[in-house]
Amino acid sequence: MPHDHDTTEPPSDLTLRVKALETLLTKRGYIDPAAIDAVVDTFENKVGPQNGAKVVARAWVDADYKRRLLEDGSAAISELGFSGQQGERMVVVENTSKLHNMVVCTLCSCYPWPVLGLPPAWYKSHAYRSRAVIEPRKVLEEFSVEIDEDVEIRVWDSTAEVRYLVLPERPPGSENFSEDELAKFVTRDAMIGTSIVKLVDE
Amino acid sequence: MNSIHDMGGMHGFGPVQRKDNEPVFHKRWEGRVLGMMMTMSSHLGGNLDNSRHRSESLPPADYLGLGYYEKWLVRMESACIEASFVSREEINDLMHGKDVWAEDRFAKAVSAETLVTQLKSGRLSARHISEPPAFKISTSVRARNINPIGHTRLPRYARGKIGIVTADHGGHIFPDTNSCFDGENPQRLYTILFSAQELWGNDKNPKDTVCIDMWESYLEPA
Repeated sequence: MPHDHDTTEPPSDLTLRVKALETLLTKRGYIDPAAIDAVVDTFENKVGPQNGAKVVARAWVDADYKRRLLEDGSAAISELGFSGQQGERMVVVENTSKLHNMVVCTLCSCYPWPVLGLPPAWYKSHAYRSRAVIEPRKVLEEFSVEIDEDVEIRVWDSTAEVRYLVLPERPPGSENFSEDELAKFVTRDAMIGTSIVKLVDE
Repeated sequence: MNSIHDMGGMHGFGPVQRKDNEPVFHKRWEGRVLGMMMTMSSHLGGNLDNSRHRSESLPPADYLGLGYYEKWLVRMESACIEASFVSREEINDLMHGKDVWAEDRFAKAVSAETLVTQLKSGRLSARHISEPPAFKISTSVRARNINPIGHTRLPRYARGKIGIVTADHGGHIFPDTNSCFDGENPQRLYTILFSAQELWGNDKNPKDTVCIDMWESYLEPA
């Protein structure tokens, strides 16, 4: 079985090599290490799928917000305070009973950072990048998602600087939930389109 | 360039492996690499297309064999060495515990505050263009059969295929020229919808589709 190296343990000298580069660039004045700390802190603690979940929950409870979100994703998302690199032009695509959307970047690893954070290893894997466009239904089966044959699967290949976010279907039985409660059920994978939002784990 | 990074439709990579509760960075050095990429961007021309081209230009076996952030490290190292910010020997010497004299070049490092602001404000690739669209929404277009040896964002699996224009995103920096610092040359960007059967043959579900963003020069009337 061919291996996908994106999840394997790197050789330990990578730590030394990165440290050497950082040290040299710092001593020469190209880098302020505090700036690197700030980037790490941003992606570990501030930006992640919890942001996208708030966007989705708002769209579920506020029809007018949802309309704005589907018309101009970037503007509606920045209303909630989320914006920035790798999310400058956002397009939000809505799942319905007739259409299931799913996002990939076959050429590299393009991903909407401000709303989802950095991509998980599987999104960057050779397996996902190669297969999502040619056999999305089989890929979804591996994610335990089965889409009826008469529902269109639309795969978005992020080849430019447009970033896509899937607006999943609101789960049945959630009619009385508040916006904050709803956000807790919205998963990262549902916003990539490789999962659907459910109220209970199956 | 027709290399291994252009993976759409390839076979043989096996099932998609997933882990629950994955950390953002699996190793500390991965975060340092990402942070260095961002802080060094202004010193290295701030050109994302060029960075992508550097990754794609790795020998295919290296592209497949190196980890994700390792590829980023390799491309950043190569850019820093080409710019004479550091040398390979200096990196090797420091790795092996030797003293390396590195003089302060007063290079105006980006501060944490500035970097966080830049990260938050983003960097638009949209550009104003005055030419009217060559292709209207809902019309049929064919992705050209081109095989440029440099960077391109037209995936092989779509070349020669017919689709329908579903969105017009206005002018955007053209990666094919920007990647080699040959100018932004903004062009209109469209979203093109292809049927899975057009792309992959008639045994695919007739309902299924793939949307791909394409610059105007990737397209011809169909």
